[in-house]
Amino acid sequence: MTEPILELRHISKRFDMTQALDDVSLAIYPGEIHALVGENGAGKSTLIKIATGVHQPDTGEILVQGRPVVIHNSQEAQALGIAAIYQEPMIFPDLNVAENIFISHRSRGPIVRWNKMYQDAREILAKLGVVMDVRQSAQGLTVAQQQTVEIARAISLDVRVLIMDEPTSALSLHEVQQLFKLVRSLRDRGIAVLFIGHRLEEVFDIADRITVLRDGKLISSRPRSEATVEQVIRDMVGREVEEFFAKSSVRLGELVMSVRGLTKHNVFTDVNFDLHRGEVLGFAGLVGSHRTDVALALFGIEPADAGEIVIDGKSVHIRSPQQAMELGIAYVTEDRRKFGLVMPMPICANITLPTLPKYVNGLGLIQRQKEMEVAEEFRRRLNIMTPSVMNTVERLSGGNQQKVLLCKWLNVQPKVLILDEPTRGIDVGAKVEVHHMINDLAAQGIGIILISSDLPEVLAMSDRILVMHEGRQMGIYTREEATQEKIMAAAMGHPEAILERQA
Amino acid sequence: MKFITRILRPEQVRELVTLFLIVIIVLGFGAFLKDYYTGRTFVRISTSIAIIAVVAMAQTLVAITRNIDLSLGSIVGFCAFFLGVQLSYHHEIGPVPAALIAIAVGTAMGLINGLIIAYGRVPAIITTLGTMAIYRTAIVFYSAPEGGIVSAHRLPLWARQFASWSIFKMGDLDFRVMVGIAILVVIIFQLILTYLPYGRRLYAIGSNPEAARIAGFPAQRIVFIAYLIGGALAGLGGYLFLLQYGNLMVLAGVGLEFDAVAAAVVGGVNIFGGTGTAIGAFLGATLIGTLDYSLRRWPAISEFWRNAILGLLILLAVATDSAIMARLRLMWARAAAAMTMELAESKTSSSPQA
Repeated sequence: MTEPILELRHISKRFDMTQALDDVSLAIYPGEIHALVGENGAGKSTLIKIATGVHQPDTGEILVQGRPVVIHNSQEAQALGIAAIYQEPMIFPDLNVAENIFISHRSRGPIVRWNKMYQDAREILAKLGVVMDVRQSAQGLTVAQQQTVEIARAISLDVRVLIMDEPTSALSLHEVQQLFKLVRSLRDRGIAVLFIGHRLEEVFDIADRITVLRDGKLISSRPRSEATVEQVIRDMVGREVEEFFAKSSVRLGELVMSVRGLTKHNVFTDVNFDLHRGEVLGFAGLVGSHRTDVALALFGIEPADAGEIVIDGKSVHIRSPQQAMELGIAYVTEDRRKFGLVMPMPICANITLPTLPKYVNGLGLIQRQKEMEVAEEFRRRLNIMTPSVMNTVERLSGGNQQKVLLCKWLNVQPKVLILDEPTRGIDVGAKVEVHHMINDLAAQGIGIILISSDLPEVLAMSDRILVMHEGRQMGIYTREEATQEKIMAAAMGHPEAILERQA
Repeated sequence: MKFITRILRPEQVRELVTLFLIVIIVLGFGAFLKDYYTGRTFVRISTSIAIIAVVAMAQTLVAITRNIDLSLGSIVGFCAFFLGVQLSYHHEIGPVPAALIAIAVGTAMGLINGLIIAYGRVPAIITTLGTMAIYRTAIVFYSAPEGGIVSAHRLPLWARQFASWSIFKMGDLDFRVMVGIAILVVIIFQLILTYLPYGRRLYAIGSNPEAARIAGFPAQRIVFIAYLIGGALAGLGGYLFLLQYGNLMVLAGVGLEFDAVAAAVVGGVNIFGGTGTAIGAFLGATLIGTLDYSLRRWPAISEFWRNAILGLLILLAVATDSAIMARLRLMWARAAAAMTMELAESKTSSSPQA
C-alpha cells in the first residue's frame, strides 16, 4: 500500500453563520484521480482553498507525504508540490506561452535565457502531447489551450498533487476528451489528481475514486468500481427536511406568464414553462445551470436572443428592467450587496427606490412622510427588526436585509415575482419567515419563480419544479412526482438514472 | 505578412509607428521652420528629452504593474532642491557623490510610496496624489531658510558646467553627457524588463493581478521594489534637473509627472498594465520633446496651445492604442494559430502511429 501524498485529517472550517467544513478527512494517493462531488455549498471550494493555503482550517491537520505541514499561502502550497487549476484559467494574457509556463520558477538563473525557455517550453508541451506555438501571446488562446498552459506550468514545477476545480465547465465535448487524455497521462506518471466536477458522466468517466461532500461533511468515499450513479446522487442529497415550512396548496389561478423556446446563445437553450397566479415554480440546478440567466432575461437585464414570452395573453419582448417592471415583473436578486440594496441608504429609501416617481410632489421633491409611511407599513407586515425605518440597511442582519429587498419589490405590486436564492446566507428563523411570506404572496395571487440551490426548500415550497442542467431544461416535475433524487439526477444531467433503477 | 509576424512582435510594430511619427514631425517642421536642422536644435531637444525620459522610465515600471506614480514631479523637485542646497554649502561634493545623494533621497521617497501601496494596499492613484502634495510641501519647508530658491551662481563650478559637457561631437551634432545618462538608463531598464525574472514578473502582475497573487511569486514585494526604483530614477531626474537649470524655485519639476505619463502612454505603455517597454517610453519622450520644442519655435502657437496639443496627443494615443493594438494582436494570434495547425499537421504526417 502506497503512502498518501496529501492527507487532510479532521478538517473543520467555519465562516460566520455557516459550518463550511465539518470534520472532513481525505487521503489522496499518487497515481490516482480522486473526484470530489457535492451540491452547491457542500464545501468543495473551501476544501480546495484549505489545501492550497488560501484559507486556514479552524481545526484538523494537513499531512504531505506523512509529514504535518501548515500552508499559509499558495506559494507554500506550490513548494510542497500542490497546485490548483480553476474554472477560469489563471494565465497572464500579455505574456507568451513559454513565459506563462515559467513565470513562477525560481531556479532558472538570474537572467532570462529566451531561447532556452522556448526550448524547454516546447519539450514540456511535447511531453504532454500538445502542439502549440510557444512564442504566441496567451490572450489569443482558447480556454482549453489556456488550461493546457496552466497544466504545463504545474508539471514544470514538479507538482505532485494537481487540484482541478470544475475544469470542464467552459470546454466543448472534444476539448473535454483532450483534457481527460492529458489528465490520465498525468496519473500514469504518478501524479495525484483531485478532480472537482458537477457532470456525473465525466466524474464516472475519469475518476478512480469518488468522494461525496454534503453540508460540509464527508458522506462517502468509494472506488469507482463500487460506486453507482444512483448511490452518488443519493449521497449528495439525503438532507433532513423537517425544519421547512411547506407551501400550502392554493388553487391555481389563470395563466399569468408563458415562456416558449427562450434561448440566449451560449447561455441557455429552449426554456419552456407556464406560470399561473398563485403558483410557485421552483428552478433547480447546480452551478453553471444558468438558472439565474433565465431570470436576468425575463427581467430584461440580459435580454434573450430568441423565444417568446407571453404575459396576460400578450406577446412581449423584454429589453430592459424598466419595461419588465411596467409589465409587472419583479426580480429579487441573489447578490444583495452588488445588485440589491444600497447599503448606506436608509431602509425607507431602499424600499421606494424603484417606485420613486410615486412619492414625488408637484414641485418634484420627494415626500419623505409618504415614503416613511409605506416603509413603516412593510416593517410591521414583514416584521423587520429595526428601531426605525430611517436606519441604514448596512446595520441590519442578513435576514432583515433580505426582507427589505423583498419589500422593495413587493411595493412594485408585481404579477410575477422572481426570487433568486432568497434564503441564502440567512439563519433558520429568518428562513422560515421568508417561506411564510412566499406562501402569503402566492395566496394573494402572485406568480412566483423560486430559484434556489437548497433542494429541500425547492421541494417544500414549489408547486412544480423546473430543473436545468448547463443551460438546458431537463424537465418540469410536479410536487407529487418530485423527489430529491430525481431532481438531483436531472440537475446533474442524468434524468433517467433513478427512473431506470425503479423500472 | 507571415514573415512580419515571425520577426516582430505587436509591441515592436507599435514602437516603429512612434519612430515613424517622430520622423514625420521632424520633416514637417523642418520644411517650414527656418534654421531647424541645426546643432542647436539637436542639443535643445536631446537635453530636454533626457529628464523626461528618465522620469518616464520610472512611470513605465509602475504602469506595467497596473499602478501609477503622480508624485514623480514632486520627487524630482525635492531631490533637485535638496542637492542644490547641499552643493551651495559644500562645494567639495563631486558629480558622482552628488548623483548618489539625489538618488538616495529619491529612493527614500519611493520607499514611502511603495510601502503604502504594496503593503498598505491603498490605491496608487490616491497614495501618490497625497504624496505629490506632501513632497511638494516638503520642498517649501526645506527651502524656506534659503528664501525658497537655489541660485546657479552659488553652485560649484562643475555643476554650472555639467549641462554643456559633451561625450562626443559629430560635426554640428553635440552629444551631451546628460543625454548619454538618459540613454544608458533606457538601455539598462530595457535589459531588466527583457532579461531579468523580476522584469517579466512586473508584466505578469499588471497582466493579471489575481493570477499573480496565486502564481507563487512575491507580487507585493515586486510592486514595492518598482516604486523604490521609480523613486531612485526620479532622484536621478532631480540631479539632471538641477544641473540643467541651476536656478530653482519651489515649483521645480511641477508637471513632470504629466510629461512622464504622456511619454509612457504615447510610447505604447498600457496604463492598465501588462505591456510597454523602456524603448517605447524613450521614443514617447522623444516624440513629446521634439513636438514641444518645435511648437515653441513656431511663433503662431502660444504656450497654452502647446499644452492642449500635448493633451490631445495623449488622448489620441490611448484611444487609438486599444483599437490598433487589439487588431495587431488578433493578426498575430491568427498567424500563431495557423502555425500551430502547420506544426500539428507536420507532426501527424511524420509519426506513423497517428
